Amino acid sequence: MSAVAPKISALERYRAAFEARWPQSDPLTRLRRAALEEFIEQGFPTQRQEAWKYTNLRRLESRSFEPSTAPAAIDAAQEGWIAHGGARIVFVDGRWSAALSSSSVQPPGVTMLPLGQWFRRDPEQAAAFVESLAPKRSTAFERLNMAFFEDGAVIQLAEGARTDEPIYIVHHWSAQAAGRMAHPRLLLRAARGSRCTLIEQHLGPADLEYFTNAATIVELEAGAELRHYRLQQESTRSFHIGLSSARLQADSRYFLHDVALGASLARHDVAAVLEGRGAHVELQGLFAPEGSQHMDVHTHIDHAAPCTTSAEDYRGVADGRGRGIFNGKIAVHPDAQKTDARQSSRNLLLSPTAEIDARPELEIYANDVKCSHGATIGQLDETALFYLRSRALSQEQARALLIRAFAESVLTSIDHEPLRTYLEHRLEARFSASGENPS
Amino acid sequence: MLKITNLHVRVGEKPVLKGLNLEVAGGEVHAIMGPNGSGKSTLVQVLAGRDGYEVTEGSVEYRGRDLLALAPEERAREGVFLAFQYPVEIPGVNNVYLLKAGLNAIRKHRGQSELDAFDFLTLVREKMKLMQMDESFLNRGVNEGFSGGEKKRNEILQMAVLEPALALLDETDSGLDIDALRVVANGVNSLRSPERTIVMVTHYQRLLDYIEPDHVHVLSEGRILKSGDKSLALELEKRGYDWVKQEATAA
Repeated sequence: MSAVAPKISALERYRAAFEARWPQSDPLTRLRRAALEEFIEQGFPTQRQEAWKYTNLRRLESRSFEPSTAPAAIDAAQEGWIAHGGARIVFVDGRWSAALSSSSVQPPGVTMLPLGQWFRRDPEQAAAFVESLAPKRSTAFERLNMAFFEDGAVIQLAEGARTDEPIYIVHHWSAQAAGRMAHPRLLLRAARGSRCTLIEQHLGPADLEYFTNAATIVELEAGAELRHYRLQQESTRSFHIGLSSARLQADSRYFLHDVALGASLARHDVAAVLEGRGAHVELQGLFAPEGSQHMDVHTHIDHAAPCTTSAEDYRGVADGRGRGIFNGKIAVHPDAQKTDARQSSRNLLLSPTAEIDARPELEIYANDVKCSHGATIGQLDETALFYLRSRALSQEQARALLIRAFAESVLTSIDHEPLRTYLEHRLEARFSASGENPS
Repeated sequence: MLKITNLHVRVGEKPVLKGLNLEVAGGEVHAIMGPNGSGKSTLVQVLAGRDGYEVTEGSVEYRGRDLLALAPEERAREGVFLAFQYPVEIPGVNNVYLLKAGLNAIRKHRGQSELDAFDFLTLVREKMKLMQMDESFLNRGVNEGFSGGEKKRNEILQMAVLEPALALLDETDSGLDIDALRVVANGVNSLRSPERTIVMVTHYQRLLDYIEPDHVHVLSEGRILKSGDKSLALELEKRGYDWVKQEATAA
């Protein structure tokens, strides 16, 4: 139920929510307001814009989501979390939970702190940091995130700091989340030669309608390395908009493992800018819409320096009336000679009403480069299905096995064992359930 | 144990089998020979339950049951096994996983307990030795990157593990060099038993030098035109198939 009179436009509702939430005028609020004004001026993206061609936001626009007011009462690790002994930062309904986050000593050279806490302690410095770590290319939803974020995490790695145990960041929605929105912001800066692994997980109880608009902004200095696992397992009635933005200096490496299983409407923008010679980015993705889920992935890799490399492998599996979109843009700037960019998008349709659009987009302005891309959309191989059934496997078993095999590449590339096991079970459950109720 | 009566099968609009009759008793080895396009592969695919073949007339009785009414996996669980002419590569599905899942599905169907990992591996290793297969096969994807010979050996390995009552071998000799053929034939021969019936389909007599059939049938133009013992195969090798056709037309 909307508390706001229906005549007011969606943008005005966001403005009203903003005024109610941030009446003060400090440096951060000025930043927020500028972002809000820009968002309002441009409005929600529409399908007339190329980047939103396949995704209609009217349903999101028509809802009035409110910022959550108080931390919700969950007080223990939840089902669906990954078994993890190391550092854990937990957000419930968009706010940091001290009780659920690990209080153990931080790994040497690693500083982690909740953004909200930092703002209360040192607003000037925190605002300056947020401003300094803005994505190279902003998006409408990044601006909305900037205007409304309540909390988030800041992770800074000192020069040469290396930690092998992943930092686990959970965004969990409580049972009271209906009608709420959260705009968590995750900022990571890795100084020269540092290295870490991040697990970013978004999840919420089934059947709740809420809105997550998450932005993760990463800066890797020379030789730094980040492995970023992102698991989107939101409620199947929710809206999830995500941004993963990375800037890479010379010889730094960014690995993103992007798995999307949840939300009613999901959109993930991945933007990597290879600014320094020898920088390398690798994207491994899986999106699996089923029922009436809509999942849109847009990746944009900018080769802005010579000898930069990128490798991208996205898999889509759509069942029911699920809808998937993969748009992979690779831009090679004029001076980015010796660029090596590979992109592959493979997609599997499991029902006659499922749909996936796969679109590579290459803009190459340098002449000495290697760029390859391939996109396929197909169905399960009937011959392989028959082969497995002729070896006594049931049709459901054979089907699940082939879907799993299709999605396997995203699993084998995970070198953190507890996470791989966790995802293996999730995917097994997901794909063995699919097709059992053919509609 | 297998009785095929007046079987008519269409692939799309094209009739391929046109009134095929064949009876096979338990424990026997039958070879079905015939020229290309005579319907040999269609016959074994239909028996294994492949989609895309339309049975318009006739019946297949297997151990007293209507085989054609069963799904492919039900046939497999009832003891039917097809060694494919072109085994399918399935990257991402582990060889050993498939063997185990298949064997346990069959055991469950028979009311036997599932094999545990240790007993299963012991069994598979023993069968792999027979097929002269390397341990590394186990953890590769099903037929993934296998050579032609390796694929055929893998088919017979599966047969050895699943221990079917009725094994259908579809052109198992095609694409094999003489050494690989020996290994494969050796594997098949070691599986001959009174409890196991083997029907092999082949274009050439060569395979029959290694796996001696009890009966030989000539399949041509969608029907069994002539049956005999292994001397028939030698005669076919010498004289080709035309005389059988002429004889049939004359009769």
